[in-house]
Amino acid sequence: MQRSDAALLAAARNDPAAFRELYDRYAERILAYHRRRCRDEDAAHELTAETFAQVWLVRARFRDECDGSAAPWLFGIARNVLLVSVRRRALEARARERLGVQVTPVSVSPQEAWLENLDDDDVPEAVKLRVVDELGYDEIARELGTTPGAARVRVHRGLAALRKERTR
Amino acid sequence: MTDRLIALGDDLERAARKDLRRHSRRRRRVLGGAAALAVLLPGGALASSLLSSEDVARSMPAGTKFLVGSTPECDVVKENVEYRCTINGHFESEIDGSLKGTVEPTVDKTKHVNGGCRSLTDDGREWSCYVGEEAVRQQIVGAGFLGEYAPSPGVG
Repeated sequence: MQRSDAALLAAARNDPAAFRELYDRYAERILAYHRRRCRDEDAAHELTAETFAQVWLVRARFRDECDGSAAPWLFGIARNVLLVSVRRRALEARARERLGVQVTPVSVSPQEAWLENLDDDDVPEAVKLRVVDELGYDEIARELGTTPGAARVRVHRGLAALRKERTR
Repeated sequence: MTDRLIALGDDLERAARKDLRRHSRRRRRVLGGAAALAVLLPGGALASSLLSSEDVARSMPAGTKFLVGSTPECDVVKENVEYRCTINGHFESEIDGSLKGTVEPTVDKTKHVNGGCRSLTDDGREWSCYVGEEAVRQQIVGAGFLGEYAPSPGVG
């Protein structure tokens, strides 16, 4: 039986293999998140590495508030890594430096544009999950790493945008 | 998953193992020191030292970097076990968003972890703090972390 994210994070306090399992579960989604924002393959990988380095360092702070899913927490960290990078105009690397992970220099400089419509990032995906996959808001929230309320807002925004598109 | 992501995961896992080993070595040194101290001190001297609410208040910024410069004030809930602390003064957490439920270790004046606190509010101004084994029971610090040497306030 597959362990929940919460169980993996609890085990990861003393077990790097559990941390690796969580990484394997989420790395592609976190990478996709960063790639959507920065549109640079190297920068997206660096931000993904930083996100998981932070996850390791603050793993003891995780509180299971979503039925065992760590997605909202993980995407919250990813979002924060992105925000700090843009604010500092340099890809965030402090957690990796603290862990002694090699940081590859990337020529791209974080831009304010990376943060445009940050809260609407998952709107098309939210609509797809609701309309095509017919998921409930709780499930959409788990998929997108957000709360059911925020998932509902994203679906609503997406549908409104589609409606507006059609009536043009 | 791409080869690049797998390699990245390998790097992170390796670093996590090293990090854990570093902490284990430090913990063993501290426990060894504590055991030696217990032999040298008269029986019960370690266990019976009472903490004042001021001691607990001082332990908060000593354990957590983002609280350095803040001025916590603590009231006794249960002497030497539980304290309710309010943080005055400016502080800025490295955590984005709500601090409610966040846990932080506390560190005594000999720079050893002596307990931990849990934030009761989103803004991180109200905390419940627990001393010694009670902090372990409250799942704020691990049993192995209690008593660990912590020379500087922690981040993350």
